[in-house]
Amino acid sequence: MKKLRIVAVGSLAALALAACSSNPSTPQATGTGTAAGPTTPAAAEAANIKLWLVGSDTPDDLRTYLKTEFAKENPGSTLTIEEQGWGDLVTKLTTALPDAANTPDVTELGNTQSSTFTNVGAFLDITDQVASLGGDKLLKGFVEAGVVDGKNYTLPYYFGSRYVFYRKDLWAAAGITTPPKTLAEFNADVATIAQKDPKGVKNLSGLWLGGQDWRNGISWIFANGGEIAVKDGSSWKATFEDPKTEEGLKQLQAIWTTASKAPKDATDANTYNHLNDSDSVKAADGTLTSYSLDAATILAPGWAHWSIGDLAQKDGKDVRNWNDATFGVFVLPGVDGGAAPVFAGGSNIGISAKSQHPQLAKNLLKIIFSPEYQQMLGKAGLGPANTDYVSSLGTDQFATALSQSALNAKLTPAAPGWAALENSKKLEEFFQKIASGADIDSTAKAFDADITPMLNGQS
Amino acid sequence: MTATTATKHRARPGRAVLTVVAVLVALVWAFPVYWMISSSLMSNVRLSAGAPKFWPVNPSFDNYASVWGGGTFLPALRMSLAVTALTVVCTLLFAFLASLAISRFRFRGRTSFILAVLVIQMLPAEGLFIAQYRLMGTLHLLNTVVGISIIYVGMVVPFTVWMLRGFVAGVPLELEEAGMVDGLSRFGAFLRITFPLLAPGLVASGVYAFLQAWNEFTTALVVLQADNVRTLPLWLRGFIQTSAARDIDWGQVMAASTLIALPVIVFFLFVQGRMTSGLVSGAVKG
Amino acid sequence: MSSQPLPAASADSVPVVTHGSSAPPAPRTHRPARLRSRRSPGLPYLLLIPSVAILLLALGYPVVWQVLTSLKKFGLAQQFGKPAAWVGLGNYVALAKDPYLWTVVGRSLVFCLVNALATLLIGMLVALLMKAVPGWARISVQVSMLLAWAMPVITAMAVWRWLFDYRRGVVNYLLTQLGLDYVGHSWLESPLSFFFVATVIIVWASVPFVAFSAYAGLTQVPGDVLEAAQIDGAGSLGRFRWIILPMIRPVLSIVLLLQIIWDLRVFAQIRLLQDAGGTPSQTNLLGTYIYQLGIGSGDFGKASAVSIFVLLLTIALSWFYVRRLLTDEAQA
Repeated sequence: MKKLRIVAVGSLAALALAACSSNPSTPQATGTGTAAGPTTPAAAEAANIKLWLVGSDTPDDLRTYLKTEFAKENPGSTLTIEEQGWGDLVTKLTTALPDAANTPDVTELGNTQSSTFTNVGAFLDITDQVASLGGDKLLKGFVEAGVVDGKNYTLPYYFGSRYVFYRKDLWAAAGITTPPKTLAEFNADVATIAQKDPKGVKNLSGLWLGGQDWRNGISWIFANGGEIAVKDGSSWKATFEDPKTEEGLKQLQAIWTTASKAPKDATDANTYNHLNDSDSVKAADGTLTSYSLDAATILAPGWAHWSIGDLAQKDGKDVRNWNDATFGVFVLPGVDGGAAPVFAGGSNIGISAKSQHPQLAKNLLKIIFSPEYQQMLGKAGLGPANTDYVSSLGTDQFATALSQSALNAKLTPAAPGWAALENSKKLEEFFQKIASGADIDSTAKAFDADITPMLNGQS
Repeated sequence: MTATTATKHRARPGRAVLTVVAVLVALVWAFPVYWMISSSLMSNVRLSAGAPKFWPVNPSFDNYASVWGGGTFLPALRMSLAVTALTVVCTLLFAFLASLAISRFRFRGRTSFILAVLVIQMLPAEGLFIAQYRLMGTLHLLNTVVGISIIYVGMVVPFTVWMLRGFVAGVPLELEEAGMVDGLSRFGAFLRITFPLLAPGLVASGVYAFLQAWNEFTTALVVLQADNVRTLPLWLRGFIQTSAARDIDWGQVMAASTLIALPVIVFFLFVQGRMTSGLVSGAVKG
Repeated sequence: MSSQPLPAASADSVPVVTHGSSAPPAPRTHRPARLRSRRSPGLPYLLLIPSVAILLLALGYPVVWQVLTSLKKFGLAQQFGKPAAWVGLGNYVALAKDPYLWTVVGRSLVFCLVNALATLLIGMLVALLMKAVPGWARISVQVSMLLAWAMPVITAMAVWRWLFDYRRGVVNYLLTQLGLDYVGHSWLESPLSFFFVATVIIVWASVPFVAFSAYAGLTQVPGDVLEAAQIDGAGSLGRFRWIILPMIRPVLSIVLLLQIIWDLRVFAQIRLLQDAGGTPSQTNLLGTYIYQLGIGSGDFGKASAVSIFVLLLTIALSWFYVRRLLTDEAQA
């Protein structure tokens, strides 16, 4: 009887709420729905639109530029930029994008997340605008990540790619004075350095590669001509058991066994720390405690060079100063020389399908893909979406390495379920298994069977 | 508060050992807090180089200056204070009324209500995000203090009702009625006699509501998405993530953490004496 | 909501003493209810209105949504407007057949029990310790417990994550100084060690609540009774077993119940630790599993089904208490 009563109360509540939710406010009537300010109903087109940028990669002056330029070109309208964190982006996109009253009009998202949201119809078809925004000049792989059935939904925002940072002193001490020309040479060199440990550094890694670091790890798969997944007709199929992919995995496993002392659950975060000297804390017995330096080589995105160097003081604050005598960079070599296809990092940008101001949103894209803004991105060290402006990155060794590696960089498959797969961290786990010495063929086969349904969005 | 009476016959050496153990326990529990504060006074470069330092090397308030100077801390603090205050006040009021009802009256549906209150706490919140977002969207309460507070009060009220009803039941009705015989109005009797006896219960419930509203971040993440309405935990999370994209600046993260923990510590020190003494006196009466 | 066991319940020692069925004290002399209900039958409902309203508002729709969604095939596409097909109990059946769910359930139960019992035991010992030491030592323990208690979850996790950092963490440093080889030891790499770290953090955060509650309970134990027992020749263990324990048992039982409810749903700590390292599939507990299924993989139907399942599981676990409560209420 008591239970019945609870049920009754519950269903009453359901009814009451169903009544509330059955007449959702029409989005048009609620204006922009942004928190920043109401719009005047008289000016139909003038409005405030909302742009989500993710992480702090886009510098402040670029944000200011977008806002002022947008206000200038769209009199009466304003642009609000909100910064979201990468870690919670999927949660927020999942909830906000379907909600006409609160969706960001334009949003940045990871290139690997793009296909998932594009496939469920989260973005506006902007095929007719692509030509005017740069057309064929736009980074191809990134453009493809935003294409469904031949139509464009998202476009590249910026790219980054990874290259090699190394300790010249450790390499030289191990007897290697010229950077490797092929991937095989590289693999051998880092193993040699770890084995020789010429300076007696505790736990020295020839190449510091985390066991879960699939973002750097897949470079070996790509370099050996392997793929992670291929589209077969209308559906995707994971291809870790492909012989070429397995060759890459084999080389990786060798690195994890012989060259890298990184923990098997480490990812690609903060790898540059391992390259720096400690500030030489001497113990009472005169031995040098060195907790920082424990890698001769790392793979990292280009901006890492700001955090690598000698410890110094600047304006009374501790900083790291890059030192060409100790540190160097080169591009991860391919199997037959040249640059290996590394993981293309970066992000895409698109207009929410539920945006109430699609025209204003398109106007914003125009500004973002303008030569001025593209070059501003390049000067800030972010690879511009339009390849015509890659030169704006500059000509120093970092810019050179960035553009060289980016030319060959490769994206993850544009499968509908890719974001779900990435979020499930199954890739991390698979790589960790390989790093821990699992049998490659059987592990890869099992993994393919596991993730193929996921890639097709049927988890 | 006479902790020693029970043990005054204990042998002295045993007590010395226990005292040492007590000091160790105190050290272990306080260490993470100490570590947070100590690290917040050092630069990140210094922190990431060499062996851990057990006291601040070159201490400075630079981290606090950068954290504060970001200009986002104060708005987040304001937001957190508003949400927390609203949550605490509403929770106490609502829960107090409900606890009066269930401990002083007998009525149809009483047991169902108690049961519902108990069961609601057991529902995992991790699956509710989408529904909560839609609810708030429908009510036009996304990104508002009121919206997130409604959810918090809903989360906190069940436990608070449960807690308060014991306190209310613990106040003998006879006392109140005696007051009424002495010429006080019913409200007056309640205010003069019952309310003071309930104070420790209200303080304890208030602390609970305060901590939940102050600490919660997974629901806030979904319901408060705009930049200008972040609560402190969201702000800290954003801070860690922004920093993690390049380099976790532990010095700044620890400074930010200290800033968030500080109000709670102050609040606790403030209510602690009241709570404990209330506890003890209330317990003796029981 | 955050699963960190929270303080205020320390005050609960009072209600428990009055309500706990087996508690020796708590003479319930008055039965006010009948008296008043005759006078104003509508009043109790009036008093309940605000609470019921806020519960319906905040939780009514989400709960109904969750129940309905658990009966649908509801993925990301459905979230973006595609009609969702009813699958009846399909999600539940699929989950029941999935051995992984049962692995997670078993793991969560073990984790929950270990944490709840460890918290209870250590909290109890700390409370006894506080009774036994001089005032200054007791106050130091109280203050440090208070500090730990006041640490917001997200802050505490940031600090702990750093203490256990595999390269620069203090824990490894200290162990290495003690002569053990913990240079570069990754604490989160193996699941067992991951849960050890999680347990340390959760116990650290929960003990203050238990210690304060138990201490408040201990202060009720009349000194003269203890002295009388000692004169009768009871050792300290005997006094604890026969006098102290029975008197504070109601406090302990409610504290244990709360710890079980909270520890079974632990989410924030595990998720934040998973952000720091470890192998998700081997470290998922029910909370993170729901999150991973839902937001993570976009299968909201299954995530809702697991949520409902967890609700039922918690009710089953606490049934002993709920039933006793209901009997109490029926008799009241």
